[in-house]
Amino acid sequence: MAQLLMLLAAINYQNSLAYAVTFLLLSLSIVTILHTWRNLVGLELQAANVAPVFVGGQAMLGLRLESTKYAHRAIALGWSGSEMQLQEVAACSISNAELQLPALARGWLQPGRLRVESRFPLGIFMAWSWVDLEISALVYPRPLSGELPCLSGKDHEDETDGSRAEQAGVDDYRGLRPWQPGDAIRRLDWKAYSRGRGLLVKDFVALTGTELVLDFGKLSGDIEARLSLLCHWVLELDSVGQIFTLVLPGQTIGPNAGQLHREVCLRALALFGSGKKEGQA
Amino acid sequence: MKAAEVIPRNSLFWLLIVQFLVILPHLQYLPPWIIVLWLGCTWWRLRIFRMCAAYPNGWVKALLMLSTGLAIYVSHGTLIGLDAGAVLLMTAFILKTLEMRNRRDALIVIFLGFFAVVTGYLFDSGVLAAVYSLLPITALLAGMIGLYQNDSAGYRAPLRLAGSLLLQALPLMLVLFVFFPRLAPLWGMPQPAEQAVSGLAESMSPGEMVELSQSSELAFRVTFDGQLPAHENLYWRAITFERFDGQRWARSSNSYLAQEPKWEPQGEPLSYNIIIQPNGRSWLFSLDVPKIQADDARMMADFHLERRRPVDRALMYRTVSWPDSRREPSATSASLAASLQLPRQGNPRTRIWAEELRRSEPDPERLVQVLLRHFNQQPYVYTLKPLPVGENIVDDFLFQTRSGFCIHYAGAMTFILRAAGIPARVVGGYQGGELNPAGNYLSIHQFDAHAWVEYWLPERGWISIDPTFQVAPERIRTGLQQAMVQEQSFLEGDPLALHRYSGINWLNELRMAWDNVNYGWQRWVLNYQGDEQKQILQKWLGSFELRWDWLGIGLVLVLAVLSGSLALLLFKPWRSTPDLVQRLFLRYEKLLAGQGIVRQKHEGARAFAERAAQVLPDQAQAIRQFTGIYECTRYSGEPASPREMQQAFKALRDALFSRNHAKDRIH
Repeated sequence: MAQLLMLLAAINYQNSLAYAVTFLLLSLSIVTILHTWRNLVGLELQAANVAPVFVGGQAMLGLRLESTKYAHRAIALGWSGSEMQLQEVAACSISNAELQLPALARGWLQPGRLRVESRFPLGIFMAWSWVDLEISALVYPRPLSGELPCLSGKDHEDETDGSRAEQAGVDDYRGLRPWQPGDAIRRLDWKAYSRGRGLLVKDFVALTGTELVLDFGKLSGDIEARLSLLCHWVLELDSVGQIFTLVLPGQTIGPNAGQLHREVCLRALALFGSGKKEGQA
Repeated sequence: MKAAEVIPRNSLFWLLIVQFLVILPHLQYLPPWIIVLWLGCTWWRLRIFRMCAAYPNGWVKALLMLSTGLAIYVSHGTLIGLDAGAVLLMTAFILKTLEMRNRRDALIVIFLGFFAVVTGYLFDSGVLAAVYSLLPITALLAGMIGLYQNDSAGYRAPLRLAGSLLLQALPLMLVLFVFFPRLAPLWGMPQPAEQAVSGLAESMSPGEMVELSQSSELAFRVTFDGQLPAHENLYWRAITFERFDGQRWARSSNSYLAQEPKWEPQGEPLSYNIIIQPNGRSWLFSLDVPKIQADDARMMADFHLERRRPVDRALMYRTVSWPDSRREPSATSASLAASLQLPRQGNPRTRIWAEELRRSEPDPERLVQVLLRHFNQQPYVYTLKPLPVGENIVDDFLFQTRSGFCIHYAGAMTFILRAAGIPARVVGGYQGGELNPAGNYLSIHQFDAHAWVEYWLPERGWISIDPTFQVAPERIRTGLQQAMVQEQSFLEGDPLALHRYSGINWLNELRMAWDNVNYGWQRWVLNYQGDEQKQILQKWLGSFELRWDWLGIGLVLVLAVLSGSLALLLFKPWRSTPDLVQRLFLRYEKLLAGQGIVRQKHEGARAFAERAAQVLPDQAQAIRQFTGIYECTRYSGEPASPREMQQAFKALRDALFSRNHAKDRIH
C-alpha cells in the first residue's frame, strides 16, 4: 500500500530517486521473504516437562526449541486464541520456553496444535507453521474448602478420641512439641522458629493415629463440587502428613500418605469420569 | 494492548534517530517553529519512555493538531500544495512519534518516515542528497527490525541487520530501476514552489542583465556528438527581444507564435544533448538553426524552441543544428513590422545619427559594417560596472558613457538599425561555455548570459552579428572571466564562488571533477525517464527490437535468478553438516535407527552405544569400537584419522548386514 503510493509519487513527479526508493523497498520485501523463511527453517520443537495445575490456574507447558542450523530470532509461539510468546534460539543450540495456558476444566488439557510463527526481520511477511507436539497438561479439580460431613475413620469405634475431628477441623492442633528426626518438614512451626524458640512441630489432635477415608459416595452435591471438596481435603491431609484413603466409585486408593499418594489421588480426581482413569501414564 | 505489541527500547531509540535524520535536510525550507515542535515532542517522548510523563490525551492531541494546522496555514497561506503538504507530512510524522504506543503506531511512523524521505527528493535530488538519504533509510529499517526483536539484542544489532538487508536488496533494486518501464505522469501534481531561480526573463533592462552575470549558477550542460565547435561559435539562443519601451527590452510577439518560419537545412549539422537546470521558463536553448527531437517542444516563429510546460525539473533533450542555414529569406512586411518598432519618443541624438548613416550608406550591409567599425574603433569599454545613464539610455550610452555590457551594445545597435529602417532584434541567450575535459561536455552558467543582434535582409534572411565582439573579442573567444581580468569584477559579489578561483589548479580540477559527477548523476540517474530509458535500453539490446512484454518476462527471470542466488547465499545448503566426523556419526545413528534403536536427545554417544550393545550383543564389539574412535576424535583433542573411523563404521555396517541376512534365513 505504502509502496504503491510511493510509486504513484515517483511516476507523477517523474522522480528517479523516488523510483529508486520504491524499488528498494520492493527488493527489500523480496529479500525479507527469504529471511523470514530462513528464520523458521530447521527449527525443531519438542514438548518438555509439563507440571500439573489446578483449575483456574495457569498451566505451564515446557517446550524445547532446537536450532539445527541457523539462528532463530523472535519466534512467536502460542495456541490459537492465546497470546504469542517470543523466543530466541541461537544457531545450533537449544533454548527452553514455557508457555502459559489457562486451565479451565478438569482433566487433560490438550491445547492442540501449536502455532509457530516468525515475522522477523521486517514484519512485512509472516512464516508460520502448526505443530502438533501432543503436549498435554493434567488439570486437577479446583480445591474448594468446606466442611466434610463424614470424614469417616475406618476403625473409629476403637479410638476414644480423634474421631470427631470432622467438627473440630484438622487445623486444630494440640500444641507444639520439639522436632525429632522423621517429622515432616511441612509441619514445622516456622513462626516459632523465627521467634527463636527452636524447632517445634505442630502436633495435631484429631488426626494422630487415625486413618481417614475420603469417600466420594458419602458426599452430596454435584460431581464437580464433590471432587473440588475432595481435592481440598487431599491437599489438607497431605500437608499435615496424614494417612488417608480416597474412595471413588469403582476405585479405592490407599490407605497411604506422602507425595506419591497425593499425586495418585489428585490424578484420580482429575480424571474422574473421563473414561480413561489411568490413561496416559 | 498485548505485551508483544509494546515498542521495544531499541526500536524507539532508532525511531528517534530517524526523526532527526529525516528532518535535518528539510530544515532549509521548513518554518522554524517545526524545530521547536520537534524538540518538544522528542523530549516529551523520552519522558514517556522514562515513565516521567503520560501520553498526551485526546484533548492535548486535538489541540496540537489544530494549532500545527493553523501554524502551517499562517506560514504558508494554504494547506494544499507541495510545500504546505511537506510541512504537514513533517508535523504528522513528529506528532505520531509522540503518541505512538504500540507496534501499529510505530509502523505508521516508519511509513511516514519513508514518505518524508521521498518528499525530500522532490526538493533536492542531487548526489549528496541521495547519498545522505541512505542514512535515514537505514535507520528506518533498523527501527522496523527493532520492532520484531527482543530488547536483549541491543541497539547495534538491528542496524547491522538493516545494513546487510540493504546490501542484499541492492542488486534487485538496480535491476528494477533499469528495467522497470517508466510511465508518463498519470495526473498533474503540485510542484515545488519557485525558488528564486536566476536566468533570462521575459523582459530585461540592461541592469538586470548585468546582475544576472554575477551569478555562477549552472544554466545547462551540453554534450556534443562529434567535435566541439569553437568557443566563438557557441551562441545559445533562448528568446528574442523585440519590443523596446525606452528602458526595457521585452519578448517579441513572434516568440509566442507557434509557427515554424521558413528555413532550409544547409551545411554540416551539429548534434548534441542538452540538460537544462530547472528554471521555471518554457524556452529551451539551442544553436541556430535547430531541430528538436521531443514531442512536447517545437520551434516558434523567432527560431527559438518552446516547450509546452515550463522546465520545473532538470530536462534532457536532443537537438541537431544547421548553423549555415538561411533563415526566413522571404518574410512579409507585416511580420517584420515588429522588428522595426521604436518608442515614439526619446533618444533623439541616436535617431538623428541613424538618419545620417542611412543617407551616407544606403546599403544595409555596409551600414552594419560602419556601425561595427564604430564600436571597434571608438573608445568603448566592455564592463560589468557601466556608468549610470539618464532617461535616454541609448543616447547616453552612445555619446557619453560609452561603457556597457553586452545588452547595452546589442540594444543600441538594434535601436540604430531600426531607426535606419532595417528590421532588427535583440537575441537573448548564452554565449560560450566551460569545457569539462574529463566529461567532455560544456557547462553554461548564468554569467555566460549574452545578448546579440540579428537583422533581416531580403533574400538573405536573418543575419546574426555581435557588437560585443568588436569591443571585447576575448569575451566571445574565451569567456567572461578572461574579459574581466583587468576590471577584476568577475563574480565580485560572490567571494565563495569556486569559479573565481579557477586559477588555483587543484581547486579547479576538484570543481570540474565534482561537476562531472553531478552531470553523470543527472544524465544517467535523474533523467532516466521515458524516452531516455527506451534509448539506453535499445542501445544495449542492439539490433533486437525493444518490446515491453519481453522485457517484463526478462525482468521476472532476472529477479528470480537474483533471488535464487541470494537464497543460496542465505541458506548455504552445502554447509549442511559441520564436518566428516559428525557426518559419519549421523550415518551411524541412521544405521542403528534402522534396527529400531533411536538415540534420545539426552543420550550421549557412550550411553547410546551401551544401550545399542545390549540390544545387539553380536555387534556390541563393532559398536563399541566405532563409538570409541568417535569419542577420541571428538573429545580427546588428538586428531584420530577419519579413515580409521570410516573403517570402523564399515565394519559395523557389515556386521549388521550379516545379522539381517541371518534373520532372513531364519524366517
